[in-house]
Amino acid sequence: MSTFNFGRAIRGGISTAALTSFLMSSPVLAAPPVDLSKWSPEYVRSIAGTKEFDTAADCSKVTPLDYKGRLTFWYQGVFEGDPDLLRQYYKDFFVAFRKTYPNIDLQDQALTYNDLLDKFRTALLGNAGPMMVRLQILGGVEFASKGYLQELKPEDVGYATEDFWPGAMKSNMWKGKTYGIPTNNETMAFIWNADIFKRAGLDPERPPATWDDVVKYSKQIHDKLGIAGYGLVARKNAGNTPYRFLPQLWGYGGGVFDETAQSPTYAKVQINSPASKHALQASYDMYVRDKSVPVSALTNQQADNQPLFLAGQLGMMISHPSDYDVMLDLKKKASGTDVQKAQTVIDNMRYGLIPTGPDGKRAVVFGGSNMHILKPEYVDGGKVDLPAAKALACFWTSPEWSLKMAYAGSNPGNLNGFKTKWMKERLDNIKFLDVTTSMLPYGVPFPTIPETPEIMNIVVPDMLQNALTGALTVDQAADDAAKKIKNIMDGGKL
Amino acid sequence: MSTASIVKTRAGKRIDAWRWGGRIFLVMMLLYTAVPMAWMLLTSIKSGFAAMQLPPQWFPNEPTLASYEKLLDPTNSVGQDFLRFFWNSLFVSTTTTMLAVAVAVPAAYAFSRFDFPGRKFLFFAVLLRNMFPAVIFLVPLFILMRLLGLVNTHGSLILTYLTFGLPLAIWLLKGFYDNIPYQLEQAARIDGATRFQAFFLIVMPLSAPGIIATAIYSFIGAWNEYIFAYTFLNKNEQLTLPVGIQRFFSENTTDFPGLMAASFIMSLPVVVLFLLLQRYFVRALTEGAVKH
Repeated sequence: MSTFNFGRAIRGGISTAALTSFLMSSPVLAAPPVDLSKWSPEYVRSIAGTKEFDTAADCSKVTPLDYKGRLTFWYQGVFEGDPDLLRQYYKDFFVAFRKTYPNIDLQDQALTYNDLLDKFRTALLGNAGPMMVRLQILGGVEFASKGYLQELKPEDVGYATEDFWPGAMKSNMWKGKTYGIPTNNETMAFIWNADIFKRAGLDPERPPATWDDVVKYSKQIHDKLGIAGYGLVARKNAGNTPYRFLPQLWGYGGGVFDETAQSPTYAKVQINSPASKHALQASYDMYVRDKSVPVSALTNQQADNQPLFLAGQLGMMISHPSDYDVMLDLKKKASGTDVQKAQTVIDNMRYGLIPTGPDGKRAVVFGGSNMHILKPEYVDGGKVDLPAAKALACFWTSPEWSLKMAYAGSNPGNLNGFKTKWMKERLDNIKFLDVTTSMLPYGVPFPTIPETPEIMNIVVPDMLQNALTGALTVDQAADDAAKKIKNIMDGGKL
Repeated sequence: MSTASIVKTRAGKRIDAWRWGGRIFLVMMLLYTAVPMAWMLLTSIKSGFAAMQLPPQWFPNEPTLASYEKLLDPTNSVGQDFLRFFWNSLFVSTTTTMLAVAVAVPAAYAFSRFDFPGRKFLFFAVLLRNMFPAVIFLVPLFILMRLLGLVNTHGSLILTYLTFGLPLAIWLLKGFYDNIPYQLEQAARIDGATRFQAFFLIVMPLSAPGIIATAIYSFIGAWNEYIFAYTFLNKNEQLTLPVGIQRFFSENTTDFPGLMAASFIMSLPVVVLFLLLQRYFVRALTEGAVKH
């Protein structure tokens, strides 16, 4: 277990400016149910288990429990590879909802992470969408701006806007109106293998402090042990890529626009600024100069790095706490000598804060998902059962279920979830959770503009690939990306 | 040793070298195609942890059939879903095959035997659909299916697969009918058979290999099709296997043994069908190569 003191790190690390920036991004500056200015692992522990919630009673005020209706719903589901614990909670959720609302015919469809957006877009073209959808955080504004979504705010389902992270609420806003409710929010952490660090001559209990250190450590691991140091991810059209490159970009002081500023305007493209190029250069150094990252990084997503890490062939990566649960599951299902090998991997897993840039700037993508209701004209059948949709939104975004559905992988969208008894249980059961809750205040939301999915999923990975394959120099790749973004922002196509 | 025998020996060596070169090439091709299948099978009997080991366990230290048990157990949710996907695929593929044969047999016969206005144009027109990449038709077909009320039904897939499979099936079968002597039908007609009886009792049995090849072709095409099934079906209850096995990929992790076990089971019907009927398939493909 890491000896890193996250409480001290968080207190020392959060600059007033960062926290103020986060809070200032709130559409409404009112009192949230938790004190964000005190946010630290100790504070999170102190509030866990301090309040009881009755989900059915709360939601009955939004939609009567005997309401009869029908709802079609798409969401990013959990599947065979996900931790058993999380899969069980998803199963329990739908059982609980159907028990609470026995007369609502819920037709739910789980889709995989990389398919949801494309499939949803196709369905909308044929006016055959579901009544309700739960999308990754970067999707909402795109569909709101195109007029597919109905207005939907927490107050519509019995909660207050202040019950949710301000940054998460912002990801649901388009032209001053709110189009969704956050279900869960996540900030990832830095994970490393202590045994690999030790064998490479590094301090096994201390992660790289800066991104320059990551480059250095990655090279050292590769040179000494002949394995990959850092788990670079550069696959195109996969959300994993921006989630892992943007912390690096922001750490070096760069950005796509000014998204890390107190009040971002997204007016000026900065992906080709000297700081941004510095971040891209770091990736280039690891992939081309040092060859210290997986050679398959150009087509890798996180699911490809995980096996390498668990097999002891990768030293460091950015990841969720759920990786720890995945490993526990793998050990549970292993047999014979594999059990001990799996235990060794578990014993060597360490989690820490994401490294900073040269100026001490630490940032991570503020991720998560939101629930949205579609306009009837885009729905298969042409009707939306609003009370049924609100019942489901109330249920999922409740303190209880927003916590349980994020149990192993992220954090509850509803801040009251941190006060539930399940949060207390979670803190006791899930190792390394402190790290990701500590990273939450460093979270920077993706730009809340309709073009974000195209920029993050296509342009940013393209820039990485152009530089790493040598098709363009680092400078040219960054300039090319800036040109593409300007073109997209002016209404053009890629 | 005479000059003639030296030439003969050298020629023989040359032949041997080519023969051995060919053998080595074939062995390499065999490895190229068989190793991934063997690796799929070996991974499917590993635990999740063993499947992630590097260097890999060439043969699992602790072989397990857990992934197969999970997939084939109708009492758990994974097994229920997988078996449902399997039956959905079987239903769609079988229905597509039956309809393709039912339409292609008379259509190909008509193109082979009858002379009617626009025959050549129509014959080439049936191939027009196959001259464009499938993805071009994706959204238009999706909108069409929605207008027909077929989205989220297996009917949408059957209809779509027929539009792709029929042209080639008709071409394949026409080649077969062209090689069946017309005199056989004339003889049957002289003996009192109607045109339909001559077709059904004389031509059909002789064209059995072609019909079987067409059926295999249609079945394999429908069984493996992904992009239209992925676009037209949005309900878990309706999904076919190629789309259904995506559930082994998650945002941050992949269940490799489960994926490989599902892929292995998915490949079984096609492999069995092909092994049982391959001689007809090969015969149908080479029919017409030699003029009778």
